[in-house]
Amino acid sequence: MNISAGLKALGLAALMSTAVAQTAMAEPTDRAITVALAVELDSLDACDTQPAQNANIARGNIYESLTHVSPVDGKVEPLLALSWEQIDDLTWEFKLRPDVKFHDGSSFTAEVAAANINRSQPGAMIEGQEIACLNLTQFPEAVKAEAVDELTLRVTTPKVDPILPLRLSYADIGNLATQQTAEKTTNPVGTGPYQFVERIQGQHVKLTRFDGYWGESPEVRDVTYVYRAEPSVRAGMIQTGEAQLATAISAQDATDDGRTVTYKDNRIVIARPNSFKEPFKDPRVRQAVSHAIDRETIVPALMGIGGNPWYQMLGPQVNGYIPGFDETEALRYDPEKAKELIAAAKADGAPVDQEFVLVTRPDLFPGSDEVVQAIAQGLQAVGLNPRILSLENTAWRVYLRQPFPEDQEGSIIMISHDNTSGDATFSFSGNYATCEGRNSATCNPEIDRLVFEADAAQGEERARLYQEAARIMYVEESTMIGIAEQVRLMMLGEGIEYEPNPLSGIEIRIADITFSD
Amino acid sequence: MLAFIRGRLLSGLLTIFGVVVLVFFLARLTGSPIDLFFPEGATQAQLESFSRAHGLDRPLLEQFWVFLSNAARGDFGMSIWQQRPALQAALSEMPATLMLTFLAMTVSVIIAVVLGTIAAAFRFRLVDRIITILTLATGSIPHFWFALVSILVFAIILRLVPTSGAGNWQSWILPVATVSLGPIGILTQVTRGAMIEVLSSGFVRNARARGFGSTRILYRHALRNAALPIIAVAGDIAAGMVNGAIIVSVVFAFPGIGKAIIGAVLARDFPVLQACIVVVGIAVVLLNLIIDLIYVVVDPRVRLS
Repeated sequence: MNISAGLKALGLAALMSTAVAQTAMAEPTDRAITVALAVELDSLDACDTQPAQNANIARGNIYESLTHVSPVDGKVEPLLALSWEQIDDLTWEFKLRPDVKFHDGSSFTAEVAAANINRSQPGAMIEGQEIACLNLTQFPEAVKAEAVDELTLRVTTPKVDPILPLRLSYADIGNLATQQTAEKTTNPVGTGPYQFVERIQGQHVKLTRFDGYWGESPEVRDVTYVYRAEPSVRAGMIQTGEAQLATAISAQDATDDGRTVTYKDNRIVIARPNSFKEPFKDPRVRQAVSHAIDRETIVPALMGIGGNPWYQMLGPQVNGYIPGFDETEALRYDPEKAKELIAAAKADGAPVDQEFVLVTRPDLFPGSDEVVQAIAQGLQAVGLNPRILSLENTAWRVYLRQPFPEDQEGSIIMISHDNTSGDATFSFSGNYATCEGRNSATCNPEIDRLVFEADAAQGEERARLYQEAARIMYVEESTMIGIAEQVRLMMLGEGIEYEPNPLSGIEIRIADITFSD
Repeated sequence: MLAFIRGRLLSGLLTIFGVVVLVFFLARLTGSPIDLFFPEGATQAQLESFSRAHGLDRPLLEQFWVFLSNAARGDFGMSIWQQRPALQAALSEMPATLMLTFLAMTVSVIIAVVLGTIAAAFRFRLVDRIITILTLATGSIPHFWFALVSILVFAIILRLVPTSGAGNWQSWILPVATVSLGPIGILTQVTRGAMIEVLSSGFVRNARARGFGSTRILYRHALRNAALPIIAVAGDIAAGMVNGAIIVSVVFAFPGIGKAIIGAVLARDFPVLQACIVVVGIAVVLLNLIIDLIYVVVDPRVRLS
């Protein structure tokens, strides 16, 4: 670091220390900011806020949900619901926050909340038209919501669901008018601290502070979101002052002046061998794959500050994460052990010499091409026969999702999986772990039993059962092979204070941004 | 003249129809938007529900018939990803594309004609060699690299222009420069070649013998006769710009039909893709027609047939 950069860093540190004191008494200002995002949003409808590109703008800014996941400890906290209780196995009652107004002046009531929840359920229809909400994947089976009185909401689940309050953190609430049509809204009206101003598709979205917000008035007045596909351009916009916050910065564009901040959002790079196809039907070959990958060398060398070596498929904030697993049980780099396992499988007739494809996508994560090449070299070194197949998204998904075509060759697919909910059900149940899971390439009845039991359990018992299922997946089955924990980078403009958290990948609350100058 | 225009428009429409039929079926061979639309955990029932909602569950020929009958009324359907009609999504990108093409072609032609003429006038001399090397370089530099370097130098270091976007007139400078780079190189070489040929022809020697000045010979007599190949090549390049300029769209986040087409292909947004192909097709047909008409204006010996 040169003297000028050092002085800047010192100055920034001084500013930050005063900012801590200022944050507590932050007052609304007339200041405007620009946020540079990598991808344009697809939809501004309240029922489409699950994909990150939509959530980045809409969640926590335009819309709010009944509950919220704490970025600090992952616990479910009240937001538009003040409290809730489970009346019986299948029924929950939520007491809603009074005196909350939508941006159009209408009141937030249990009737509006019920309309929002019902509209985002699987199979929901309005005026005979089916609605394809993206948030409905949070509800594997449709729940039913109804208003008991103006501020009491009742939700009935088809089977026991201990994490309904968590699921409802994904149900953002829009005004009643937008809920009475199957059309997706292009003029979003929520209860959040910012109201929608305009969207020019391909160019920008503008929001402005909502003066009737029920909570504390944020410091930033206006915010403009722009989309820049090239990471170096996003970083450049911060340097020139064209933007005050830029997401998805690559490691080579990171600066050491305090403006580049890192965060982890439980996003893990995984290699998933397809156990339904040769040469991976024998679990010893899959275990050999894990032993053949030298994560401790590959990840620091090729991902830099963008990754840490990892051996599980979940991050530490998810209840299915197994503490201490990496040091004791993980199938760590051991090429000799890998060769032994392959030899043993070969002796029993496994076609270990058979060529298979190592399927990846160029946009999977920064530096993914190099990481995949290094993995392929590791696999070749222990006697396996991989061929790298780099595909675009649609073709890549053919190798990801069941049912796998009959004539599809054996594969290991590279995946970048995140779980920001804190609960393993969103990763395991009906997804990567169970026999019927959409993205599962394994079928072990014991894993199914543990996952389904966990789905109906609560608290520590729930976590224990998920961890048991995970242990089988990682060690005995070796079907989900953790490679790296991704570290995400964000860049802030001068005078901007924002502390990213594990939810920042999907939700950048502009109300959390303050000015230090 | 009218018969010529009518004939050209008719053959243009047939070409567009053929391309749209190809795009309709080929795009559907590459996969479905359903898997892309939903997050990882979507169930089969949810995917099927989405498929029904967008008519993607119907037989391909039935989808094609619905598309044709609606397109004949100017209805290309709703975009799968954007909440707006597909035709609107395509048309909204065209003004920026046409303006970028116009500006880039104007800049390219002016610079190329001046440089090419100078190079031809000083054939095989130092100035000719310098111009040739420079224009070969501009034609060879990867646009992606030039775009990023120009952002670094002119936006980040010198702070003369914005890094990206299309907010004000300054934000057009780098995209126009990037798009013009290749055409300047090509058109300069075309101009040089055409001018050398014309300058060695009999009427130029005659003009010299009659005592006309070099400048008058170059710009009034020779250039007019060398214009046809320049117009032909410039027309092709302009048609390519209407289709593309994708790098500029991506790096500078500049609006344009090329970006819309690539986005629609990657997202399997079939309605937008089809609308974009038709819009671009019409633009290219009209552009070619205009170029044909310019031929007649520039060289009266050319007859429309």
